Amino acid sequence: MSSAPSPAPAQVDVQADAVVQVDDLSISYASGRRDVPVVRGVSLSIRPGRALGLVGESGSGKSTVARTLLAHLRRGSRIVGGRVTVAGSDVFALGDRERRALRGGTAALVAQNAGQALTPSMRVGRQLREALESHGLPGGHERVLELVRHVRLPDPETIVERYPHQLSGGQQQRIAIAMAIAARPRLLVLDEPTTALDVVTQAAVLELVRDLSVELEMAILLVSHDLGVVSAMADEIAVMRDGVIVEHRQTAELFADPQHEYTRELLASAPRTSATGLSAERGGGRASAPPPPLVTAADLVVRYARSLPPAVDAVSFAIGAQETLAVVGESGSGKSTLATAMAGLIPAESGTFTFRGDDGIEGDLTRPVARRSLDLRRSVQLVFQNADTSLNPRRTVGAAIARPLRLFTGSTSPDRVAELLEEVGLTPDFASRLPAQLSGGQRQRVGIARALAAGPELIIADEITTALDVRVQAGVLDLLTDLRDEKGLGCLFISHDLAVVRGVADRVAVMTGGRFVEIGSTEDVFSGPNHPYTRQLLDATLDPGTTVLRGVDDTTRTWRDADGWDDLGDGHRIRRWESA
Amino acid sequence: MTRSTTDATGAAVNAGPGGLPGRIRGVATSLTSSLSGSAALTIGLGLIAVHVVLAVLAPWIAGHDPVATDSTVALTGSTWTHWLGTDQYGRDILSRTLNGGRYALLVTFLATTIAVGIGTVLGCITAYADNWFDEVVMRIVDALLAVPSILALLVVVTVFDSGLWVIVLAVTVVYAPAVTRVVRGAARTIITQDYVTAARARGEKPLSIVFREILPNVMDVVLVEYAMRASWIVLLISTLSFLGFGANPPTPDWGLMVQENRTALTVAPLGALAPIVALATLVIGLNLSADGLSKSLGIDRAQKGAVS
Repeated sequence: MSSAPSPAPAQVDVQADAVVQVDDLSISYASGRRDVPVVRGVSLSIRPGRALGLVGESGSGKSTVARTLLAHLRRGSRIVGGRVTVAGSDVFALGDRERRALRGGTAALVAQNAGQALTPSMRVGRQLREALESHGLPGGHERVLELVRHVRLPDPETIVERYPHQLSGGQQQRIAIAMAIAARPRLLVLDEPTTALDVVTQAAVLELVRDLSVELEMAILLVSHDLGVVSAMADEIAVMRDGVIVEHRQTAELFADPQHEYTRELLASAPRTSATGLSAERGGGRASAPPPPLVTAADLVVRYARSLPPAVDAVSFAIGAQETLAVVGESGSGKSTLATAMAGLIPAESGTFTFRGDDGIEGDLTRPVARRSLDLRRSVQLVFQNADTSLNPRRTVGAAIARPLRLFTGSTSPDRVAELLEEVGLTPDFASRLPAQLSGGQRQRVGIARALAAGPELIIADEITTALDVRVQAGVLDLLTDLRDEKGLGCLFISHDLAVVRGVADRVAVMTGGRFVEIGSTEDVFSGPNHPYTRQLLDATLDPGTTVLRGVDDTTRTWRDADGWDDLGDGHRIRRWESA
Repeated sequence: MTRSTTDATGAAVNAGPGGLPGRIRGVATSLTSSLSGSAALTIGLGLIAVHVVLAVLAPWIAGHDPVATDSTVALTGSTWTHWLGTDQYGRDILSRTLNGGRYALLVTFLATTIAVGIGTVLGCITAYADNWFDEVVMRIVDALLAVPSILALLVVVTVFDSGLWVIVLAVTVVYAPAVTRVVRGAARTIITQDYVTAARARGEKPLSIVFREILPNVMDVVLVEYAMRASWIVLLISTLSFLGFGANPPTPDWGLMVQENRTALTVAPLGALAPIVALATLVIGLNLSADGLSKSLGIDRAQKGAVS
């Protein structure tokens, strides 16, 4: 076919044997009486054994394009022009029966949230058997076990007997991949496959996918907003914006020499662990005269129920005034529990946890919020992970900010609300909008404004950028660091993303299993020497531009806790360990 | 998909934080958009509106006193003076049907409002409390739900009299528990949201959290519940009257009319048919509204991303 002239040099050698061939695809979505174009003139092709990364922000149309490869369109959308060919047949010309054969047979999808992709009431073994049998393959016990072994899950015999909720997120995603490859598809579509996973699990899952694609000669389309993931996985990358591919290049070329302005912007805003941080020089100047700590915790224990092991186990740390302490760790490490306890939403079981503010406000942070003084509540403010759910959908932005103003300062005025909105980089007219009319980044800014309204001395930021696109994330992080410097706020910054932490934090604490294993200044922690767990996290973190996956094993622990700490000087301390 | 709504309320900029005009306009636009989106809702609300208008205007358009008897014109068919004929006592059926609507709508409105109101508040509070209070209230609710509604009503009406308020309160006791249960379920999903956590972290009073953060977000569930309960209550009240425990004769009541006129079904069929048609259209109207509301509100929620 005569392919349309495309801006991408990589597409000139379009091969006849490509598994996927998308030509000049345009899709629009009916919104009310208007037709909104979602995808405009997208062309791409993928050969067997090759991986194409589709990068863009939410709303750029990357998922829409990816799903057309499985002949799936969202309700209300329609193809305006162009065609999608998978394994030689036009997918939108297929009948129902052929379409079913395509889905899962020729092309398979691995969705973002494996927990939702698996049926909760069915043992995973049976779900795998179903995946086999629905494509006319023999679904014997041996075949199912073989699939489980294929995705490198330990102890297949017990895994197949489990229900999805008994598996970890990484294991669920592996089962989802096993289901996808059950019928030996020629194309695997991965839609943000690791967004919900920890860095360590992410690295292991990506490695698995790459090995499988080589082994089974599959073409891969990887949709992600994470430049690190895409660069490590894909042979070539297409950058999408507003439904158009703005740049399409070989991975190495794209990172070495981005042509389009938008690509450059994206690359610039992506946080890196290796880069010299935004605030690297900040920490150095201050270390000479340490101010008295704002928050001091010693042997803090937090437990959800008496019968459960403690979620936070004998943790000690201090946050100085105007200092940002980042706590990193995988999900379930207890880092969010620490934040919740500091906010007073669950009481601490034992240990000391005190707050000593600049203007003489003192308080005991082990107490629940109901028993804290108004001043203490005002001084410690929380910013939430998910801006979508942190604002009441029925109340305007103005009302959301006015509420803490009235509660903590006793008075509120539209002027003060407008002032706060401007402080977080929004305009005063946002006051009359509802959260639904805001983008994710704007909502997170409102969440910050709401915290600032109280006039706090300490901000607890719990994974505040996890749900945001890179560029928006960079904006929110800049805002947070600016405000912190301007107002002299202390900050407890919770994150699972080391790259984000690097640019924001003065000091970093690494947490796993409810305990700190390492704490020290950002520079020291990133340069090492490290605790093996920190090392594992650092190795698994994918910087944009990395083209290799360092083999990270997420299943076995190579170390065991030992008593005591090693002090490496300058406040850098590592928990003793022995190899296991 | 928020683009269209942004344009709509972007105009209401000068309405300060929580400005009332802006909020009313917001409600109005969301109502018109859900109306235009759902045929069921339009028809349902239309039927209810017709009933309300007829009930309000009944004294002026009926033309006859609904309780005045006239033995000279008993059991006539349709005539120019009595469009739908008369019953065995010579009372005008059209007048009785129209005035019966007043009674049915009044009792339904009062009973539903009180039952749903109490159920909503209790549901939100028990969901938030989640302690001994929740336990106690929910066990009482369980006990009340176990009692068959008709039987409970019959007992109440037999022990007391069958005045309007007795019926209203009896219906409240029967239906408030069911509403409590439904609203509690909806409220529990709201409580896990971060804005409720934010309010708790601010140290807001529990009742303030219930009324500011939780209640506004279960209103759509409550609205659907209201329309659905109303249709059941209309039927329940008419059933009571039909069985002879509801409105006292000669009150013009649909259930009572059917009961009185069913013996004369062959002679003057309209005597029983007219109230049946009236009752059916009202119930259908309420059901369609409930259906349409739940659909359009459900779609609204998904589009606004309020609930995943």
